[in-house]
Amino acid sequence: MRLYWEIARRSFQRATTYRTAYIAGLLTNAFFGALISFVYIAVYQGRGEVAGFSVRDAVSYVWMTQALISIGAAWIAPDLERTIRSGDVVTDLSRPWSFYGYWVSQALGERLFNLLIRGSLTYLIGVLYFRAFVPDVATLVAALPALLLATLLAFAYGFLINLAAFWMFDTTGLMLLANFMMSFFSGFLLPLAFFPEPLATIANYLPFRAITSVAAQAFLGQLSGGALIEAYLLQIFWAIVLIGAGQLLLRAAMRRVVIQGG
Amino acid sequence: MLTLYMRLVGARIRAQMQYRASFIFELFGFALVTGVEFGVLLILFNRFDAVGGWSLYEVAILYGLSSISLSLVEMIGRGFDAPFERMMQQGAFDGILLRPWGTFFQILASEFQVRRLGRTIQGFGALMFGIAGLTISWTSAKIVLLVLAALSGSLIYLGLFVIGATICFWTIKTPEVLNAFIFGGQQLTSYPLSIYSEAIRVIFLSIVPLGMAIYPATLYLLDRSDPHGLPVGLAWAAFPAALLFLALSLAFWRYGVSKYQSVGS
Repeated sequence: MRLYWEIARRSFQRATTYRTAYIAGLLTNAFFGALISFVYIAVYQGRGEVAGFSVRDAVSYVWMTQALISIGAAWIAPDLERTIRSGDVVTDLSRPWSFYGYWVSQALGERLFNLLIRGSLTYLIGVLYFRAFVPDVATLVAALPALLLATLLAFAYGFLINLAAFWMFDTTGLMLLANFMMSFFSGFLLPLAFFPEPLATIANYLPFRAITSVAAQAFLGQLSGGALIEAYLLQIFWAIVLIGAGQLLLRAAMRRVVIQGG
Repeated sequence: MLTLYMRLVGARIRAQMQYRASFIFELFGFALVTGVEFGVLLILFNRFDAVGGWSLYEVAILYGLSSISLSLVEMIGRGFDAPFERMMQQGAFDGILLRPWGTFFQILASEFQVRRLGRTIQGFGALMFGIAGLTISWTSAKIVLLVLAALSGSLIYLGLFVIGATICFWTIKTPEVLNAFIFGGQQLTSYPLSIYSEAIRVIFLSIVPLGMAIYPATLYLLDRSDPHGLPVGLAWAAFPAALLFLALSLAFWRYGVSKYQSVGS
């Protein structure tokens, strides 16, 4: 355990070194946050609640999605795939620790750091310029497990897709589809509450809503009591499924690993 | 020069067609992934009636034009994107300098991504959807402006890609801020410019004139006026403005090439 903690800590530190890229990324997220917020302001035009969202809820939700880009909620990082393609994966596999544990700790360290700095600063811009919702301490505390689990889920899904590189020579198309599934059905592009049938039902049965939708709603105080517990359980359920599937697929991949180059 | 371009690009296209299944997968993937933006628009309009007074069909025209203009540049201009960055990092640009052709031409011909047609197709679909849902009194001026709008957008996007690549001469990396302009610009031009704050409107009408490319032409097409008093006649200025923007980015490119120092590997 100590070892994985160290990996996470190192990865956390590494993330602090690229400051200019960091600020640029933050500004990009904020710019998109602003553009989409203006769209919501323009569609509401004085209307009250729509599907349970006031204009302020909708705008706050937008800023939350932009903040969650920092935990990988929007698209999959092809980091593992790159090591499979280059052959570096062999070095990682031969290390005396769990391969999955290594990737999970690295991802959590980096992403939680990103959430803490980039994510919160992005959201702060939304608070300052668009009056995005500011949660009270109790809501924030309740949102923390949801955010943590969402980070884990986003990683577990990405890991699973990355593993496809063991079988496919070109994963561009697969990545596109996988990213589409996540960004659309997680509620990253727009709140799931706005979805018409049958899209809403489909989204309900997929794991993706446990990432953006649940985390954002918990943060915005839209979940409380039983609904909150249910949300945690949903996230834990999908975490077990996705991590389990990742482990199984990894084992299958190990049986056919072909080392390129050398 | 055109025949050489055709020959180089023809080779690229043939190469991409070699992995047929992967190619079809990507084409479909791009249509789907970029089409989802239009899906978002449809879902929004399922709940709301208008965006800043614009109906679904009217916004579909903006969206379609915006999507088409970006897709064309993604198809022909991606050589200035990640592949160029890699070229800089590996010092491969030295080889470009040694050949008896212009650097701009060579980089342009170095990449041609047919799969980006996926976005063009769905953008065209959205445009047709918008036109079919409205009764537009067509004039020849409107048709000319419609084509010019998409072209102007493309020229400005190309200029942005070139600027991004030029910055690579100093930093070895395309700054992410450029993505904010390119993809942010696409998001921005998909909706009526009037809904944004004054600061955003001014920036995208002057420094990066993407706001001028599509919005005024669509106003003209739909016989609408801008609530902030933007003159519709600006639609005619879009193409010259786009040409000027591209010319300035080319001048910047030339300056960048003259300052280029090899990484020496």
